[in-house]
Amino acid sequence: MTETKPYAIELKGITKTFGSVVANNNINLQLRQGEILALLGENGSGKTTLMNMLSGIYKPDSGSIYVDGQLVSINSPEDAKKLGIGMVHQHFKLIESFTVADNIRIGKENDSNKLKDKLSNILLKKNSYHEIDEICRKFGFEIDSRKKVSNMAVSEKQTLEIIKVLYYGAKVIILDEPTAVLTVQEIAKLFSVLRRMKNEGHSIIIITHKLNEVMEISDRVAILRKGEYIGTVNTAETNEHQLTELMVGRKVDLNIERPEVEKKRPLLEIKDLTIKNDEGATAIDHVNFYIRGGEILGVAGIAGCGQKELCEAIAGLRKVESGMMIHKGDNIVGLTPKAILEKGIAMSFIPEDRLGMGLAPSLSITDNMILKTYADSKGPFVDREKGRQDAQAVIKRLEVVTPSTEIPVRQLSGGNVQKVLLGREIKSGPNVIVTAYPVRGLDINSSYAIYDILNHEKQNGVGILFIGEDLDVMLALCDKIMVLCHGRMMGVVHAHKTTKEQLGLMMTGALDLTEVDGKIAGIAKDTNIKEEEATN
Amino acid sequence: MGKTRIRIVKRDGCAKRKKVLMYLIAIIVALAIGAILLSSLDVNPFQYYGKMFTMGMVDNHIAYRTVENYIKAFVPLLLTSVALALSFKIRFWNIGGEGQFIIGAIAATTIAFTCGPSLGPGLTIVLMLLAAMLSAGIYGGVIALLKVKFKTNETLLTLMFNYIALYFLLYLGETKAPWNFFLNPESERPIFGSFADIVSFPTIMIGKFSLNLSLLFVIAICVIIYIYLKRTKQGYEISVVGDSVGTAKYAGMKVNKIVLRTIFISAALIGLAGALKVGTSGILSTSITDSVGWTGIIVAWLAKLNTIGIFVVAALICVLDTGSTIASSTYSAIDANFADILQGIILFSVLVADFFTRFKIVISKKEEQ
Repeated sequence: MTETKPYAIELKGITKTFGSVVANNNINLQLRQGEILALLGENGSGKTTLMNMLSGIYKPDSGSIYVDGQLVSINSPEDAKKLGIGMVHQHFKLIESFTVADNIRIGKENDSNKLKDKLSNILLKKNSYHEIDEICRKFGFEIDSRKKVSNMAVSEKQTLEIIKVLYYGAKVIILDEPTAVLTVQEIAKLFSVLRRMKNEGHSIIIITHKLNEVMEISDRVAILRKGEYIGTVNTAETNEHQLTELMVGRKVDLNIERPEVEKKRPLLEIKDLTIKNDEGATAIDHVNFYIRGGEILGVAGIAGCGQKELCEAIAGLRKVESGMMIHKGDNIVGLTPKAILEKGIAMSFIPEDRLGMGLAPSLSITDNMILKTYADSKGPFVDREKGRQDAQAVIKRLEVVTPSTEIPVRQLSGGNVQKVLLGREIKSGPNVIVTAYPVRGLDINSSYAIYDILNHEKQNGVGILFIGEDLDVMLALCDKIMVLCHGRMMGVVHAHKTTKEQLGLMMTGALDLTEVDGKIAGIAKDTNIKEEEATN
Repeated sequence: MGKTRIRIVKRDGCAKRKKVLMYLIAIIVALAIGAILLSSLDVNPFQYYGKMFTMGMVDNHIAYRTVENYIKAFVPLLLTSVALALSFKIRFWNIGGEGQFIIGAIAATTIAFTCGPSLGPGLTIVLMLLAAMLSAGIYGGVIALLKVKFKTNETLLTLMFNYIALYFLLYLGETKAPWNFFLNPESERPIFGSFADIVSFPTIMIGKFSLNLSLLFVIAICVIIYIYLKRTKQGYEISVVGDSVGTAKYAGMKVNKIVLRTIFISAALIGLAGALKVGTSGILSTSITDSVGWTGIIVAWLAKLNTIGIFVVAALICVLDTGSTIASSTYSAIDANFADILQGIILFSVLVADFFTRFKIVISKKEEQ
């Protein structure tokens, strides 16, 4: 008599805030039984936050969650497990020194109080191997349940995470960017497993940035943008262009100035640069670009496309596998961070926690000001008076809110921390500034203050590499924008000639301008460096 | 239906007055527990505590002896704690103070016996101190080298090196052999020999009271370390590396070199403490360290690695140590071990108070929706 089955999951009016930041605002979302729903959105659109509420890591501030039509309250990952919701996180949660079987068994719920059952929880019995092998056969996984996690490849670890979720009896499975770490063949394998799971009656939510994958695997696509729910479309009735438009939204006029500055010769040229990330995978793949004096070159890309590694390589903090970085005619590959600093290349990177690189959080503003120059004074003593003057100058110029120069940086608010960091970098009088996420988490006024500072430096002839998150800001502020996708450069475009949609397509790998021959509107002339300029 | 939930929440900050109050309450609680124990043994706790905190100096015509003994215990503890704080500041978990102390003491004794008779006391003392610093510095520095080169665990290694040093000392103390100049040649049983007639650290007599110059020497070193940490470039490097290795590298600091240098200095100062100790008593002993390598860890952390704080905490702990030993020896019902129990209770309470200056417990009702 039931014509319509209840939704596997239904979210009504979910709102979640962290401090003053609204991560999710009044989200409504439905997951049908036995479907694959893709969740699409830019960085910081609130996808992971939303899913974390389903898996019991966060609790919504308001709104309600229905599972199979029943109103539920998910207070912990155990609650989610009991409701049959399992999540495969982007960062695996496995015990490296345990075998596959041990990793699976360790989280198994056992409510029985019988000693025998308790013991069987501790002692791994032979038949549990069979139990796990059975699940693998059913869904077509290839995994050795006796293998240790530390000996496993990334794709195997992910498989294990999925098996774990299935073993606990999850009916709803959430995968957070599962394809980010996989090769093309492995992705194909994963998708076939997902289809099999769907046929077995599981409902799946998959978070991904890659539009081709969305088109291939999903039944429907739900789109989030800046914490807001935009809508859900049937995959069969849409295309990549429409999805990109929904994801990035219309262009917003931000009224950020972009002063015209006379072009100068390239200050920093990057030639055929290849860098590896911490895991040994290629983070930057044969990339060519350059920064002129008096221009802001934006770098756009999905999180993890190699921006961080690029910054670290330019600052001398990461090994360069191959290629050259030519600064005013000298190759700076292989120089120490100190030597690179002395050449006038300043790097400020604002990581997620805002404090990780560039500042010593327990030290005062003064002490952080002298971080790069403390060794310059004569004699064994530190010249703090100079640092104090610099600190006062930065506080005054950038309107840093602080009771004194001797306050530990840790106690300042995020925006002020960033001003201190950027202020110090500018104070050192660099000729190249590499700045990553300088307005991360800042309010509007602080953000504009930072844009003004960058523009001021640009007018002074400094070359700026601006790694940003917000495409609207980059379109307004930058002169040119380089797009990276999985470490590969998809092209450099003039900011005033391109569109948000074009950038979105490039970021997701759907549009590659470097492979197009001849001139196409929007491609900056210097996608490839001219010979005469390369020899400075 | 609500479920009560107890959570531990980090405090944003804690006012100085509140902190002091918490420490005072902790000490009072600990003393109250001790008072219950004392009463159960038919000892008047007020009299006992009176004796303890005055270190039995009231109405005592040889009170100056107590002060002399106090200084003998205070000097090594102060120097060791200051040195350990240097290691901890750079996040090197040096629990090898005992070993470094012993190595310093053995090196100093070696110089005293071998060079003392020919060189005269002045030069010998200088050599003793230098030898102790160099050998202990290397003994600790090797572990730092292994850590920066091979990422070995310094906690394990410093701990194991303690036992190597300790058993080497025991071996020296128990092996009768022609080469073993550490032993007393006139004794049939192997016992350590004294070098007090050859060389001994200078003292100044103030009336009957003899002030050991090592006290002034160590205070001077503390002042130097204080300035070193607060004012010099090397001290600044220690703060940055200890706070964030990533930032230090970003600023172009040679982190490995800084760690090596700091640990060498730290271990060398602990070795120096060993030399001062053995130079004052004029004889090695298997219990030469008096556990300062361990107590120093507590002192350093209770003082939050602050040099001035360490001076105060070390002074108080020595009062507790000396005082409770003296107090317990005046009551027949009380064993010397009671002093240790009481010290343990006090230290534990203070650590609990320390915890509550940083965290608070929040009891919240969990509402079912």
